[in-house]
Amino acid sequence: MRRYALEGVHVLDFAWVGVGPITTKYLADNGADVIRVESLARPDVLRLAPPWKDAQPGINSSQFFASYNTSKKAITLDLGKPRARELVLKLLPWADVVAESFTPKALRKWELDYDHLRAHKPDIVMLSTCMQGQTGPNAMYPGYGQLMAALSGFYHISGYSPGAPPCPPYGAYSDFIAPRFAACALLAALDYRRRTGRGQYIDVSQYEAALHNIAPALVDYFASGRVLGPRGNRSERYAPHGAYRCADQGSEERWIALAIANDDEWLAMLSVFGNPPADGRFATMAMRIEDRTALDEFVGGLVRGFEARSLTAALQAAGVSAYPVQNCLDLHHDENLEAFGFWHWLDHKAMGSSPYEGLQHRLTGTPGELRSPAPTLGEHNDEILGGMLGLDAAEIAQLKEEQVVF
Amino acid sequence: MTSELLSGFRMLDLADEKGALCGKMFADMGADVIKVEPRGGCSTRRIPPFLDDLPNEDRSLYFLAYAAGKRSVTLNLGSPDGRALLADLVRKSDFLVESFPPGYMGSIGLGYDHLAEINPRLIYTSVMPFGDKGPGSAYKAYDIVTWASGGPMFMMGEQGKPPLEMSLPQAGLHAGAEAAVASLMAHYPREIEGVGQRVVVDMQACVVWTLMNEQAMPIMHGDHIRRDGMYHAAIGARRKLVYACKDGYISTLLIGGRGVGVISMKGLVAWMAEKGFAAEWMANKDWTAWVPGILMKATEEYFREIVDLEERVQRFFATMTKREIYTEALSRRILLAPVATAADIAADDQLKARDYFVRIDHETLNRALTLPGAFAKLSATPIGPVRRAPRLGEHNHEVFHELLGIDGARLGALRAAGAI
Repeated sequence: MRRYALEGVHVLDFAWVGVGPITTKYLADNGADVIRVESLARPDVLRLAPPWKDAQPGINSSQFFASYNTSKKAITLDLGKPRARELVLKLLPWADVVAESFTPKALRKWELDYDHLRAHKPDIVMLSTCMQGQTGPNAMYPGYGQLMAALSGFYHISGYSPGAPPCPPYGAYSDFIAPRFAACALLAALDYRRRTGRGQYIDVSQYEAALHNIAPALVDYFASGRVLGPRGNRSERYAPHGAYRCADQGSEERWIALAIANDDEWLAMLSVFGNPPADGRFATMAMRIEDRTALDEFVGGLVRGFEARSLTAALQAAGVSAYPVQNCLDLHHDENLEAFGFWHWLDHKAMGSSPYEGLQHRLTGTPGELRSPAPTLGEHNDEILGGMLGLDAAEIAQLKEEQVVF
Repeated sequence: MTSELLSGFRMLDLADEKGALCGKMFADMGADVIKVEPRGGCSTRRIPPFLDDLPNEDRSLYFLAYAAGKRSVTLNLGSPDGRALLADLVRKSDFLVESFPPGYMGSIGLGYDHLAEINPRLIYTSVMPFGDKGPGSAYKAYDIVTWASGGPMFMMGEQGKPPLEMSLPQAGLHAGAEAAVASLMAHYPREIEGVGQRVVVDMQACVVWTLMNEQAMPIMHGDHIRRDGMYHAAIGARRKLVYACKDGYISTLLIGGRGVGVISMKGLVAWMAEKGFAAEWMANKDWTAWVPGILMKATEEYFREIVDLEERVQRFFATMTKREIYTEALSRRILLAPVATAADIAADDQLKARDYFVRIDHETLNRALTLPGAFAKLSATPIGPVRRAPRLGEHNHEVFHELLGIDGARLGALRAAGAI
């Protein structure tokens, strides 16, 4: 059996920022050869974003960029220059997949859009991903994931109670939904091409992909006119259901999340606390759902003095679903992530050694991994322009001089 | 029409809400997805709310959304006959996805090793809340608990109040989509070499991945992010992310920077100036260099500017509706978005122009339902939902008789014995 699932797959990657690079990272970590095409003329904004090595900005010092571009190689070409386009077309026969994530007009301007590329390579599989898709009145509207998460409904279902102001999920949430959809489309299209010889064009709208994560609320609205809104941690299925404050750890608040699905679990939970005189108000699920404010106070009182981690172990041992509400530092010490082998230490050329998030799946036969740290800008110019395209040192120097390679 | 993309491939779907989206995505891509349900039906049929608030195994909105396009058979995996039937189905399938507690499938003789003997081509994908090796492999993990374990909950909500999850639990959806990716990752070499494999998806890790790399902050910058309500919490500065308007909220992060950032800030300031909401200092500001709190440390001066700008923008937006603001922002290329409700999304012109939503006839409910459409537009093999969610055991005959060739008498006997 092969070592990596996608050995022998070649990807030319013009994508930048979030969704595009995260999608091609799936392929790279699973063995595909991915060549990023970048340029100082329009650097990937993540290359300039924190966290930085030693808190110092620099084009090769962003751990943010490095996290989403592992296992790839990088060349620099200023696509605005005709000679750069020629070099892209020389690389094209090598590629099985082309990926990009600019606003739709960019590649058209450089005549590197799907119609131009397929004239040179009819069976290319090409992925374009942008905020709202390649067509429609808002196709050219730029943006970022925080805005797409608001537009696709996540902010409105985040808050403490109906009518309360939104408390959005952290960060560019939809940037972490769309890549899984884009990767599926790409992988299936790649196999379809292998079977039929037919390439194709894939248009992923970050917005449209993200809407799949609120699908039940949309089905409901279209059917009944009901609009799902914020409601804190209240659930129609579980009571109690939420986060409850445990004993603080130094100056850090500590919370435990727990959910009770039935009366047996409720009794199991009470047993962990030595069967306190639970007042009869909470005996059944219906009763607990009926008076959730009082229920939350009662449960809050039970857990308040406990240490969240040991309480989790005790609750889980009794068959109660619970876990500490972990902060970003906790994740680095989490025994379950550790056991899964989630964290990978990589020694980056400019940033040295630090931990990176690994894959969220494991192919037991052909496991992927972070095969190499993210490339520095243009790190593989000589290797690819010289080795793959056969340019000699003088030609490469000339291209650098003319800022074609830039 | 069913998509050609994965047509001819079959998936057995034994996943609950920890993996339901996986089979849904496969069905959208044209695979034959057979949901294998226990006698009382999959637990996802009982997830509230229900269509018209009428609780019933065919009316869960979750099920209607995430079982669309799947077929349904009932199988009692507790009986030897039921397990034998599953093995027969495995012979005719390419993928299996399950989310039982780790070890359960093995304990009833349906673990990967056994099924791979029956069908070496099988890709067997297990979704596990806390993996299969750590102490958490035995943990009970309802969605909010996995959400908490992976980090986003800590960063959602107001200071001094409990951490939050969204009104629609998200952890299982991330895991389900990851299961689809990983299954297709294993599919590629399988189609070349003829050998399947076992795939494990770690749900907690899937949730961690949504943190936008903030996990690196404590390592690289010495501290972690704490939740801050409607503010984007960054180390050293808080930036307002949500603004109230006449009929709801608008989201934007007021930062300049190169390219679209500076165009957006200039556009917003010009618009505010026209309406008398801009301050003098804003007129000649170099917005290209103005990215405090995000790309640069916020100095005292920046803090004054941030507060003044955010307050003025708040007063300005309060004079208009979501739609008025968004429409104008689109034409001026100001980067913002309405905090959209389901009603806003249903009315969105962009989605309409792209024919996004799909109406699917549910003759069983005497109505049509509208679902999110294709998650990607593919030029040669369009994808998207084409069939409604199945009734419980709706395809028993089709699958057991037509696919497996079991005759009527034997089916009757299996039914009587409680295997089906």
